[in-house]
Amino acid sequence: MATITPALETHGHGHDHAHGHHEQTFIQKYVFSTDHKVIGIQFLITTLLMLMVGGALALAVRWQLAFPWENMPIVGKLFGVFQGEGGQISPEFYTMLFTMHASVMIFLVIIPVLAGAFGNFLIPLQIGADDMAFPVLNMLSYWFMWPAIFCFGYSFIAGGATAGPANGWTSYPVLSDIASASPSSGEAQTWWLFGLTLVGVSSMMGSVNYMTTIINMRAPGMTLFRMPLTIWSMFITAILQAFALPVLTAAGFMLVFDRLHTLIPTSIHSVFFVPAGLVVNNAAPTVGGGQPLLWQHLFWFYSHPAVYIMLLPAMGMVSDMLACMCRKPVFGYKPMVYSMAAIAGLGFIVWGHHMFTSGMNPALGMTFMTSTMMIALPSAIKVFNWIGTIWDGDIQFNAVFLNCAAFVALFIVGGLSGIFMAAVPVDIYFHDTYFIVAHFHYVLFGATLFGVFAGVQFWFPKMWGREMHDGVQKVHFVLTFIGMNGTFFPMHLLGIAGMPRRYADPYLHGYLEHLLPMNQFMTISAIIMGFAQFLLLGNFFYSIFYGKKVGRNPWNANGLEWSAPSPPGHGNFDVPPVCYRGPYEYSGPESEALGQDFILQTTAPPAGVKVAAAHH
Amino acid sequence: MKKFWALFFWFWPLVALYLCVIAPGRNWWFPSKPLSTLGHQIDGLFYLILIIVTVTFVGTEFALGYALWKGATKNPSSRAWFSHGSHKLEIVWTIVPAFVLVFISLTQLDVLADIRVLSRFPDSVKEAPVAEVMARQFEWRIRYPKPGTDLMTSPQPGDLYYVNEVHVPAAVPTMINLRTQDVQHAFFVPRLRVKQDAVPGLVIPVWFEIEEAGDYELLCAELCGWGHYKMKARIVAESPEGVSAYLTRLEREQNEDGVQEAETASVE
Amino acid sequence: MRLGLAIMLHTAVLKRAGIAAFLAIVVTGCSDNNASFSISEKTRSLIPEAQAGIAESPGVVALLDQKFGTPQTLKAWMKLPVQWGGAAAKVEVFAADGGEAKVKFTAEEGQTFPEKAGFVNVVTGAGAGKTFSVSSWDAATGEAVLTGLDGGSLAAGDICSIDGGSTIQSGRVLYMRHCSHCHGTAGDGNGPTAQYLYPRPRDYRHGVFKFTSTNDMSKVSRDDLLRVLRYGIPGTYMPSFLLMKDDELTAIVEYVRFLSMRGEFERKLVNELASDFSEDAVESRLKDEQRSDIVGELAKFLAEDLPGVVDGIGAELEETWVAADTEDARIIPSVPRVPDSDESRRRGRELYLSKTLNCADCHGIDGAGNGPQTMIYEKNPVTSVPYNEPGLHDVWDNLNQPRNLHTGIFRGGRRPIDLFCRIHAGIKGSRMPSFKNTPHEDIWHIVNYVLSIPFESEPGATGVAAAPAAAPDAAAAPAAGE
Repeated sequence: MATITPALETHGHGHDHAHGHHEQTFIQKYVFSTDHKVIGIQFLITTLLMLMVGGALALAVRWQLAFPWENMPIVGKLFGVFQGEGGQISPEFYTMLFTMHASVMIFLVIIPVLAGAFGNFLIPLQIGADDMAFPVLNMLSYWFMWPAIFCFGYSFIAGGATAGPANGWTSYPVLSDIASASPSSGEAQTWWLFGLTLVGVSSMMGSVNYMTTIINMRAPGMTLFRMPLTIWSMFITAILQAFALPVLTAAGFMLVFDRLHTLIPTSIHSVFFVPAGLVVNNAAPTVGGGQPLLWQHLFWFYSHPAVYIMLLPAMGMVSDMLACMCRKPVFGYKPMVYSMAAIAGLGFIVWGHHMFTSGMNPALGMTFMTSTMMIALPSAIKVFNWIGTIWDGDIQFNAVFLNCAAFVALFIVGGLSGIFMAAVPVDIYFHDTYFIVAHFHYVLFGATLFGVFAGVQFWFPKMWGREMHDGVQKVHFVLTFIGMNGTFFPMHLLGIAGMPRRYADPYLHGYLEHLLPMNQFMTISAIIMGFAQFLLLGNFFYSIFYGKKVGRNPWNANGLEWSAPSPPGHGNFDVPPVCYRGPYEYSGPESEALGQDFILQTTAPPAGVKVAAAHH
Repeated sequence: MKKFWALFFWFWPLVALYLCVIAPGRNWWFPSKPLSTLGHQIDGLFYLILIIVTVTFVGTEFALGYALWKGATKNPSSRAWFSHGSHKLEIVWTIVPAFVLVFISLTQLDVLADIRVLSRFPDSVKEAPVAEVMARQFEWRIRYPKPGTDLMTSPQPGDLYYVNEVHVPAAVPTMINLRTQDVQHAFFVPRLRVKQDAVPGLVIPVWFEIEEAGDYELLCAELCGWGHYKMKARIVAESPEGVSAYLTRLEREQNEDGVQEAETASVE
Repeated sequence: MRLGLAIMLHTAVLKRAGIAAFLAIVVTGCSDNNASFSISEKTRSLIPEAQAGIAESPGVVALLDQKFGTPQTLKAWMKLPVQWGGAAAKVEVFAADGGEAKVKFTAEEGQTFPEKAGFVNVVTGAGAGKTFSVSSWDAATGEAVLTGLDGGSLAAGDICSIDGGSTIQSGRVLYMRHCSHCHGTAGDGNGPTAQYLYPRPRDYRHGVFKFTSTNDMSKVSRDDLLRVLRYGIPGTYMPSFLLMKDDELTAIVEYVRFLSMRGEFERKLVNELASDFSEDAVESRLKDEQRSDIVGELAKFLAEDLPGVVDGIGAELEETWVAADTEDARIIPSVPRVPDSDESRRRGRELYLSKTLNCADCHGIDGAGNGPQTMIYEKNPVTSVPYNEPGLHDVWDNLNQPRNLHTGIFRGGRRPIDLFCRIHAGIKGSRMPSFKNTPHEDIWHIVNYVLSIPFESEPGATGVAAAPAAAPDAAAAPAAGE
C-alpha cells in the first residue's frame, strides 16, 4: 500500500476526447503552439540547454580561479586571440565570463524555468483549466525569449571576441554607462540591455497571463485555499513580476538612452547615471548631472524581488512534492501561503541591503536592515513547516524526494548566511566577498535548482507519459549534491578570509595566496557537478523515447493534473474536473475509505466518511 | 538504503560544521584579528550572529535528518501521520525567531551609526581628513595637504601626491576623503573591517582608528573593469611623528630638481 | 507531440555527429598551447626563404629563435647587457658520493652568488652542457650538494653557472602574469587587452621609451623603467606596481629590456633584408630577374654577410643599452631650480610663447593642448602616407596629441626634475622635441610656469598676453622636433 507503483492505465487518452480539437499542422502544434503544455515544454528544454551554457561559463570562471593564467581548455584556442598568450585568457575576458554566467543563469535559466516552464505547464492543469487565459500571449512570451537569447548571444561578439558584456550582471553605471570605461561598454553592453528588456517582456506576458488564469479559470470547487502551493507560489510570483518589472524596464531604457549612441552615433545621448567631469580612458570629460546610485536603487528595486521570483515557485513545487512523497498533508498550509505573501510584500522594501556600502544615507541603512531581518522570518516558518511535513511521513526515498530534502537542507544554509548580510556592520565586511557568492548560490543552486531537478522528474510522466529512470536521477543527485557543497561551502570561508568577488587573480594579494589549494578543490568539485548534469540531460532525453510507460497518476498524487491523461491532449481534461477538497489529503480518512493513501481532488467524497471541519 | 539517505542528510552538516571548526586553525578565517576599534565591534557582532546561526543550523539540519531517519525506520504497515499542522507550533516558531531577529537587528544599530553617521564621528576627525584617496582604473591616487595646511576638496599648489600607499597615524581616529576619478570603486581594508564604495561625483568621508602600527592591505571591492583585481595598495599606520616625517620626506622628493640629488649621490 | 520531437531530435546521425564534435572540441581544446613571441609585420613581409633561412644559414625568424628562444625556452645571448640572474662559478672542491656530490664553488670575478639555487649548468669541462639539480645551497660559503649526477661528474677548475637565467625566468613569469595581456607576449604592445586602451600600451620593439631621465639620444635607464613600474603612468592605463617586491620589479625590468633588445634586433635585421627580399621587392625584381637568382643571392647574403650584420647589431645593442645606465647619459641640470615666483612664471610664459621655443604651436596659447599643429594632417615619416586623422603621431603610428597642461596630470612624473627632463630631452618617440640647447635656467622658468597652469584662475592668467600674430605664424611653421 505504502509504496507508489506507477501503473499503466489503459483507458482514456486525451487526444480522443479533447473538446474543440481540430487538425493542426506540425508547426502550429509543436513550434508556434498556443498549447500551454507545449509552451511549457519548450521553455523547459530551452532552459535546460541554457543551463549547460551557463554551466560551461561557470567552469571557465572556476578554471581561472584554480589555475590562474594557465592555458584554458577550449577557450585558449577558440578565438585565436589567446593563442599567442599560450591560451592564457585576458582579464576582460574573465569579467565577461562571470557576467555572462550570471546573466544566462538568472535571465535564461532560473526565471524562465520556474515561471516559464513549470508555470506554463502546471497552472492550467493544477487548477483544472483547459488552457491559459491568453494562449497567444502565452506563445509570444516563449517566442520573446529567442530574441533575448539572440541579443545575449550576439552581445558576446558585438564588440569583438574578447569584449563581451563584462560589467557584472548588475551592470552598475558608470562602468556600464560610459562607452570608454570598459572593453565591454561599447556595443556589447547595449545588446545585453536589449536582451534584458526582452526577457522582461517575456516575463511580463507570462505574469499577466498567470494572474488572469489563476483568478478566473479555476475549476468548480477549486477555491483559493484548495489551490496547491505551486499555484499560490506562481500567483504571488506573477504579482511580484508585474509590480517590480516595470521599474527594471524603465531603468533599462534609461541606461539604453545613456548608451544608444554606441550603436547609432547620432541618436539620443542622455546622462541619467553619469555625473559631470569624469575622465575615463582619456575620453572627453563627461557632461551632465546624473547619479550612479539611482541605477542601484532602480535595479535592486526589481532585482531583489527577482530573487524571490527565482525562489518562490520552487518553494511551492517542493511543498507539493514533499507532501506527495511523504504521503502526508503539507504541515501548516495557510502559514505557508501567508509566509509566501509576506516574503513577497517584504521583498519590495528590502532592496537597500544590496547598497549598505554604497554611501546611501545611513538612516536608510537602518530601515533596510530591519526589514531585511524580518524577511528571514517567513523563510524560517517555511523551513519549519517543511520539516513538519516530512515528520512521521511514509517517506518514499526516490530521487524526487531526495532533491526536495536537499532543497530544504541547502535553503537553510542559504537563509542563515543571509542573516550575516542583513546586519549592516557585518555586511560591510562581507559585501562583495565570496561570502555573498556562497550565499546566493546556496539559494539559487542549492534551493531552486534542486527543486527544479525534483520537479522535472515529478512532472515528467505528465509531460511524456513515461517516467525518468530513478536510479540515474539518484546518481545525478548524489554527484550534484556533493559537487555543489564542495564548490560552494568553502566559499563561505573564502569570504570570511576576505576574498573579494570578481577578481581574475585574487592571489596577487598576499593575504589570499594560501587560498589557492582550496580554490582548486572547489574547481574539481565544480567539474564533477558540471558533468553530472549530462546524466540529467541524458536521462531526460532518453526517457522521452524509451522511458517506462506510466499512466495518469504514477505517483498516486492528489492534484488535478493527475486526473488528466498522460500526456494530456489539447484541452487537458477528458472529464471536466470538479474539485472536492484541498490537494494534500494524503493518508486521511477519506483515502482510507477508498483503501488507498491518497485521494484525487476530483474524487467525489466516499459515502459514509465524515470529513473533518475545515482545519485551517 | 533508506537509512543511508537519512544518514547522508545527517552527515553533510557535520562535515560542514567540522570544516568551520578547523577553519581558523587552517588559516581559512579572517585574515587577522580586527585591528581597528570599530573592527572589534564588527567582529563581536559577527560572532554573536555566528553563534545564533550555528545553533539554528545544527537544530534544523538535525531535525530534518531525524525526520528522514524516522521515515526510514517507519514500520512499513503503518500510515503516515495525518496532520494539517499545529496552530501552537506555528505561533511558537513565528514568535521566537521574530524576537531573535529583532534582537540581532537592534544590536547592530549603534555600531552602524558609529561607522556611518557623520555627527557621531569622533570630534577630532570631523573637520580634518588626513588625505584624499582617489580611486581610478586601476590604482589609488593619494593626495595629502601640504604639511601645516588643511585638505581642500580641489587640488592646491602645495599638495603632495603618492600612489597606492596611504600613510595615516596609528592609535588615533583618522578620516580620509574617498573619491573616484572614473567609475565606481570600493575602499576595502580587510584587517580593519572597513569598506566603503567610492561613488562617482561624491566625496565620502571614511573614518577608522587603527590600533597598531603596521601595513594593511587596501584593495578594491566593487567591480571597476578588467583590472579590478590589480588595485593593490596598502595603508601604512605609524606614529603621528612618523607620518609627519613621511610627509616631509614626500615633500622633499616631490620638489626634487635633480641637482641636490646628484650632489648627494656624488658625496656618497 | 513525441513524434514531432522524435523527428527533431532522434536521428542517429545527428547524435553520433554531436558526440564526435563534442569529443573533438574537448580533445583538441585541451591539448598543449604554448605561448609564442609574435613576429613583426615587416618580418612577415619577407619572402619565406629570408624568414626561415636557406640550408645551413638561418633567416630572420630562425635567428630570433636562436638568439632569444621562445617564451617556454628562453635563450640568453650573453653579449647583451641583460642581468640574466645566477652566477658563474668555478668548482673548487668536488666529492662524489653515489648519486650525490658535495661541491664548493668560488664565484667568478664580478659575480655574486644568488640567494637561492635550484640547478647548476656545467659550462666548461668534461660534463659541459649537463645540468645538475641542487639539493642544498649556502650562498655565504658557496657550498652545494648536487643530485641527479647520473654518472656525470665535475672536476676542480670546471666553470659552472649556478641558477643561470633565474632572473630572466622569474621576469618572464611575472611579465606573463601582470603585463602580457596589454603589452603582448613579445612586448609588441598588442596583447588582447591593448586594443581597448587609449593611449595604447608601449610597444617595446623600437627600444624607445617615452619618459626617461636620460639624454635625448640615450635609451631608457633601468631606474627609469623601475620608476614607471613603481608609480605607473598617471592618465593612462599603466597602473602602479608599487607593492611588488624589489627583486620582482628588477626581474620584470630585465625581461622588458630583453624583449626590447629582441624587438630592436628584429627590426634592424629586417631592415637589412627588406629592401631586396621582401615579397614586394622580389615581385618587382622578377621583371628582369629569375627567382632562383634572387634566392641564390639571398643564400649568399645569409651565409656570408649576415653573421657580420648580426654581430654588428649585437655590438650596437650592447653599447647603447649599457650607455643608458651610465652617469653620462643622465640629465643633471647645471643650475638648481629657479625659485618658483610670479616673476619666474611670467618669464616661463614668455618663453612658452616665444618664437624660438614655440610651445604654443602644439600645446596652444593657453596650454590646453590645442595648438595649430593639432589640426594638421601629418604624413607617416616612413611610408609618407598621410594619416587618417589630423594631429600629431608618435613613432608607433598612434595619434598622440600634445598634453593639455591644465589637467594637473603629469604622465612622466610631477617632480620639477621630471618636467625638466621632459623639456630637456623631449618625449622620446613622440613629437615633443628636445630643447637641450635652451639654457637650463630658462627651462626651470618654463617648469615653474607649467606647474602653475592647473591653478590659474583663468587661462593665461600669468599675465603675459599672447602675441596676436603667434597663431597664424605657427600654423604655417613646420612641425616641431624634426
